[in-house]
Amino acid sequence: MAKILAVDDSASMRGMVAFTLRNAGHDVSEAENGQLALDAAKGSSFDLVLADVNMPVMDGLSMVRELRTLPAYKGVPILMLTTESHTDKKMEGKAAGATGWLVKPFDPEQLLATVKRVLG
Amino acid sequence: MSKAGLAQFQQVFIEESLEGLDTMESSLLALDEGGDGELVHTIFRAAHSIKGGAATFGFPEMSSFTHEAESLLDEVRSGKRAIDGAIIELLLRTVDCLRGMFARAQAGEPLNDAVAEGLRNELAAAMRRGVPATALQARRDADQADAWSIRFRPHAGMLASGNEPLRLIRELAALGKLQVTPEFDRLPAFAALEPTECHVGWTIELSGPVKRADITGVFDWVEDECDLTIEAKHVVAEVAAPAPTPVAAPAVADAGAARAQREASTESSSVRVSIDKIDGLINLVGELVITQSMLDTFREGDIDAERLAMLEHGLGQLARHTRELQESVMGIRMLPIASVFNRFPRMVRDISQKLGKQVKLELVGEQTELDKTVLEKIGDPMVHLVRNAIDHGLETPDKRRASGKGDTGTLTLQASHRGGNVVVEVSDDGAGLNRDAIVAKAIQRGIISSGEGMSDDAVAELIFQPGFSTAAVTTDLSGRGVGMDVVRRNVSDLGGTVTIRSTQGKGSVFTITLPLTLAIIDGLTAAVGAERYIVPLVSIVESVQLKAEAVRSVVGGGELFRFRGEYLPVIRLHDAFGCDKAIHAIEEGLMVVVEGDGSRVGLFVDGLIGQQQAVVKSLEANYRRVQGVSGATILADGSVALIVDIAGLVRMQGRRKAA
Amino acid sequence: MGKTTGEAKAAARVIALPADFRLGSVAQVKAELIEAFDAAAAQLDGAGVERVDTAALQLLVAFRREATARGQSPAWLGVSEVMRDAAGVLGLAQALELPAPMPA
Repeated sequence: MAKILAVDDSASMRGMVAFTLRNAGHDVSEAENGQLALDAAKGSSFDLVLADVNMPVMDGLSMVRELRTLPAYKGVPILMLTTESHTDKKMEGKAAGATGWLVKPFDPEQLLATVKRVLG
Repeated sequence: MSKAGLAQFQQVFIEESLEGLDTMESSLLALDEGGDGELVHTIFRAAHSIKGGAATFGFPEMSSFTHEAESLLDEVRSGKRAIDGAIIELLLRTVDCLRGMFARAQAGEPLNDAVAEGLRNELAAAMRRGVPATALQARRDADQADAWSIRFRPHAGMLASGNEPLRLIRELAALGKLQVTPEFDRLPAFAALEPTECHVGWTIELSGPVKRADITGVFDWVEDECDLTIEAKHVVAEVAAPAPTPVAAPAVADAGAARAQREASTESSSVRVSIDKIDGLINLVGELVITQSMLDTFREGDIDAERLAMLEHGLGQLARHTRELQESVMGIRMLPIASVFNRFPRMVRDISQKLGKQVKLELVGEQTELDKTVLEKIGDPMVHLVRNAIDHGLETPDKRRASGKGDTGTLTLQASHRGGNVVVEVSDDGAGLNRDAIVAKAIQRGIISSGEGMSDDAVAELIFQPGFSTAAVTTDLSGRGVGMDVVRRNVSDLGGTVTIRSTQGKGSVFTITLPLTLAIIDGLTAAVGAERYIVPLVSIVESVQLKAEAVRSVVGGGELFRFRGEYLPVIRLHDAFGCDKAIHAIEEGLMVVVEGDGSRVGLFVDGLIGQQQAVVKSLEANYRRVQGVSGATILADGSVALIVDIAGLVRMQGRRKAA
Repeated sequence: MGKTTGEAKAAARVIALPADFRLGSVAQVKAELIEAFDAAAAQLDGAGVERVDTAALQLLVAFRREATARGQSPAWLGVSEVMRDAAGVLGLAQALELPAPMPA
């Protein structure tokens, strides 16, 4: 069981991610945008952060940059949930400090496999 | 994971996507009027969410379709492409097409149609470049060996991105047997070591029948954060790719299951409620519980004067909390009319362009709330009124100039609360109704024999008669066989009324008056024999006690009485519903003048008992549809009273007269 | 400071590695390890390590190399299963001179 933060402005996507991970026994918190995620991250210690790229208020890339400035989130895996198959988007995420990405569409099994892979 | 578990999010996805499409549409329109670049991001985000969600929730056709639009938007967003009218037009049609796809998704129909196919091609053509097929390419290039040598030297900063060599090597271990040898050649002296950087490298011998793609897959997130060489040590002969397994049969079964699921999920639609409203409800329920436990103390012991006062106080509180709770629960179903209003900017733009008219649309009172069910059904009548206003009401710029008006006509949609009703007005500053044309048409259609002596209001009423249409040529906009009579019927099905005020040369105002909610109506309780009926207050004009001679029988059956210079037909409720032991003599009963479906009739009842709010119970859901009855309610004494459907009753009367 | 063998045991510094021995704590541990070079001998206690990563093990490898260069030979007081496993995966068990696991 891991503590996971799911960040997405889409309630359906966030709900699906949280639902899937909770079913797998993880402790999942949810945030609607980067700013709320940042607030949540400061008040807790997550083992993994899953974040959408395009979000209002604070997008995923800015959120990753901010998170990486926090000592507690130096090496914590952060995965971007992205539909962009263009490599530049992925590289932007990496440059911001993301660990990797999960390309939408993904089904619950893919999500769980990736999470398992990251949590080791 | 159960599929049913995901189905709940599918419905949420559809709802938020429809909202996203509304956002896309309004942003595109704003962009068309010179809005700022932030709009492009908003549009992109909406398309992006729909694309991602569509694929995840089982609508791959929609996803690939949206992908085309998204690619186009991405180029606009990144400045590679300037946005122009043609692109906005294309994207607006994309929004429409997606709405259609969602509608088909909810109906369980195939998502793609000819329109979607055509549009997809247009979108693809609009893109400068083709779509790179990277993922597929990589897979095809995969080669296979049963022993590999992997040299993996992370860059110093790799750990900071959360990528752990420990995890990567563990993943490799899952592929086959590993021999891991560390390399310390870059490891600095202890004092110089920056401990959060990675200065160790590895040579990894992997044995087992493994594809190159499986290995690169392990390192896909760190391509740019390490030096990586992958060498095949022992290459096996290329194995012929297995024939594609037949997937048709299970796919069909899946589609069937998905369809059943979708149908099940659409049966009861949902409503999003703000946390504030829910918190308010919880508070009220808390108050109720406190009051209830207070009242509970009266179960035991005698009730003296002091306790009686407390009891009365408690009952008063109970009544107040119950009323507040009722209002709050009703409030959950209340949504702002903005969601209906918002579809009009687009429509007005399209129609006015098509007709060569200049129209400015003004929306007033978009935050006015009304019941979700009413909201869902008010759209169609409003669409018709708006179409009519642009098509028939507003003039072309030439004509407007000729009559001394500005080139641009104004169309106003206005919503407001008035008493227990919501009033929606559709007004224009166009030509107004043409009295002569209407009278001529009504005579031609046999609706009236002459217009002489008819008030302007009475003439205006004619346009609500079935089969009436004043357009000289039926355009493809208004003339779809749907007349104002249907508008009136739709509104009256919602318990509302439509009226028109028009001034020739100045314009027209259509006023739709709707109940706030369909769940509760204000009504008068009427006695008919041993039965009780609820007559909706909104349809009551007046009630009068008549002398026997005031009512006259007419040839061919039926009765009439004179009311304010008009002869109104009488509907005896005991006749209509077959009640025993009712009053038959006119002078002993009461004539309730009601208005429904645009005409007035007199309802003859024994008497009126009082006014009350009636919680509407559906007869259809509990029994079956009954003509002349819109529902039932439970009275304070526990008995059931039927709610009279005035419009239905009037139609019944009309048929009887015709027969 | 005396460097006789008699005093060595008393002057040996024990460094207890933290339960969460990962990127977030390596700088802190490095500071402690530097001080250990001043002591006659150092003993590493990894029995309480519950989470460990590459950065942590790399730090220990660098520490051992430095100690060896100074003629010291830090001893292991304990090694948790988590640490042993991670070192095995990364091929670092030998470089860390981990003691053979105790028979259960």
